[in-house]
Amino acid sequence: METQTLLEKLTALEPTVMPREKSDCPAITISPELLLGFMKKLKAEPSLAFNILCTHTAIDWIAENRFELIYQLYSLEHAHSLRVSTSVPRDNPLLSSMSSIWRIAQWQEREVYDLFGVLYHGHPDLRRLFLEDDWKGFPLRKDYQDDFMLEKPEWA
Amino acid sequence: MGLTREPLIHKFPFYLEPIPGGSLVLASLDKMINWARANSLWPLTFGTSCCAIEVMMAAGASHHDLARFGAEVTRPSPRQADLLVIAGTIVKRMAPRLRTLYEQMAEPRYVIATGSCAISGGPFIYHSYTTIRGADEIIPVDVYVPGCPPRPEEFFYGLLTLQKMIKEGETIRKPGVRRRPVLAALPPGITLSQIQKEFQKLLEEKACVNMQEAQEKGKIFGRKKE
Repeated sequence: METQTLLEKLTALEPTVMPREKSDCPAITISPELLLGFMKKLKAEPSLAFNILCTHTAIDWIAENRFELIYQLYSLEHAHSLRVSTSVPRDNPLLSSMSSIWRIAQWQEREVYDLFGVLYHGHPDLRRLFLEDDWKGFPLRKDYQDDFMLEKPEWA
Repeated sequence: MGLTREPLIHKFPFYLEPIPGGSLVLASLDKMINWARANSLWPLTFGTSCCAIEVMMAAGASHHDLARFGAEVTRPSPRQADLLVIAGTIVKRMAPRLRTLYEQMAEPRYVIATGSCAISGGPFIYHSYTTIRGADEIIPVDVYVPGCPPRPEEFFYGLLTLQKMIKEGETIRKPGVRRRPVLAALPPGITLSQIQKEFQKLLEEKACVNMQEAQEKGKIFGRKKE
């Protein structure tokens, strides 16, 4: 599907959706409360049929005090892709889980929880994935500090 | 194994000494054992990142051929190996496993650390929450091979250094004594352009054949073009 028609269709589906400018693929921004219902529609709607969640990741915008959460979707049926992004506040990162729609989201959300500390409401088993179970803190946050880490000296 | 016609003395002229007039042979057991150990190192395939491609695959494949140094029998089990080649980054989760693998290896065991990550943490030394800064924080290392990743030639140089170390050791009198670890960098003076020139020559000689020219010279099919 063409980018313009796809974006028009998405705005018709949910009027609060904001298309993103300066993007190499169709990309939209949506508020976190509407995310779960919108994603369900994206998968169920036959003309969209986004049946694969390729990637889920997060960005720490520490200056704006928010985590940006990115979902990269793909449709095997129509061979089009879409990037959905949403933002949660940094001090209360709570979001509904996508694992009821795509089961692979369980793993990807565990990874994001492990490294960024975003909590997912409705996730069946939210544990750490890569780091040790007794790890303290979330290392990909920009303000993460650790006794193990070395600061770069000035001469290096 | 059947008896060989050729006396053993001719095979190992430096290690064996015949007694004049007798059928006895004197030999230094140290040297015999070291010779055997140094020339049949069995490496454990332990590759955690990109150095493994260079060390395990490029060095082991036929072009460079690890088998020339008697170290081609790579083993997936630590109990059958005596050389641990650490090829890659060691992270905190991997460190206990590496220690276990080292402890499972039978004595005598040798360790080569290849690449900057295994030596010091490499590019991950600063601001990393998980990379171990050098494999020698966990297990003793015998030979360090620098490079990111090292070329197969550099790895061979490290292997030859290890063989030299083993051959110099005193196996019988002081078993289990570790020698000081060494840094096996290729000797200075070998430049990149020199290696490239050599490689180009090798390619031209072995990989590319000018069919027409070769036929005119009579190298191919054994006959000259009339």
